[in-house]
Amino acid sequence: MYYTPAFEKNLNMLQKSLDASLLRYNVIANNIANSETPNFKRSVVNFEAQLKRALDAEKVKPSFPGKLKFKRGVSFFTPKTYRDVEPKVVLDYLTTAKNNGNNVDIDEEMMNAVSTQLQYQTMLQAVNSEFMRLNMVLR
Amino acid sequence: MGIYTALNTASSGLTAERTRLDVIADNLANVDTTRTPEGGPFRRSRVVFRPRVSQPYWRSPFLPKYLENQIGRGVRIVDIQKDYMSKPRLVWDPTHPDAIKTGPQKGYVEYPNVNVVSEMVDMISASRAYEANVTIINGAKSMFLKALEVGR
Repeated sequence: MYYTPAFEKNLNMLQKSLDASLLRYNVIANNIANSETPNFKRSVVNFEAQLKRALDAEKVKPSFPGKLKFKRGVSFFTPKTYRDVEPKVVLDYLTTAKNNGNNVDIDEEMMNAVSTQLQYQTMLQAVNSEFMRLNMVLR
Repeated sequence: MGIYTALNTASSGLTAERTRLDVIADNLANVDTTRTPEGGPFRRSRVVFRPRVSQPYWRSPFLPKYLENQIGRGVRIVDIQKDYMSKPRLVWDPTHPDAIKTGPQKGYVEYPNVNVVSEMVDMISASRAYEANVTIINGAKSMFLKALEVGR
């Protein structure tokens, strides 16, 4: 059967990344809309680094999982998986670029917008090819 | 977060920048107006922007849930202010009907405090910001059109 855990994991991760890039695109749109607002601070989205950390943590087995248990057999150890990763919006409140307290660099934001868009389309291609392979098997 | 969030955000930016451009056009059109209903010369106007959703600038473990991890919804115009702080431009012209009749500034005409150069610079910056928002709308459109083709 083609519907394996790997297929599900691929689709789940692609879906999460698509959501994250859409969120990032919205955040960039907000930054650009507020590029002339005094005292506005830009926001950024953290996702890929957290996803990589979760995927790396899946490979590592805990040395003594039985040791990390409460008396009544409740495990303290909950493995961190890619399902737990949520994109996070972080306010860049430490820097100032303009005299009015605003730190939106419009060139950087436009570049981020274009790269986010390309990333989104690339991941849609990946989703498409997953389904194409599934179609090929079904045929 | 829906698919229209980016469009709504960018369109709020479009509205704000267009209003700014309108105000600049008004200032430039009235660059030589010496008579107004409220008396005195024309005063330049400015647009005051604010984020639509205010950002929390503090960090606290007790921050309410609705304030954290939330994205902005664009920009909002709170006010169009008249600039009464900067002084009007004085030009010596005793035959002008609006010239000052008495006092130490007798014979001078008060012209608006509009600086043409800075208004032009503001105009360019507003139209560039407008174009940036248009680019964002076009990008969002192409993203959603691509997303509609999944599984075709």
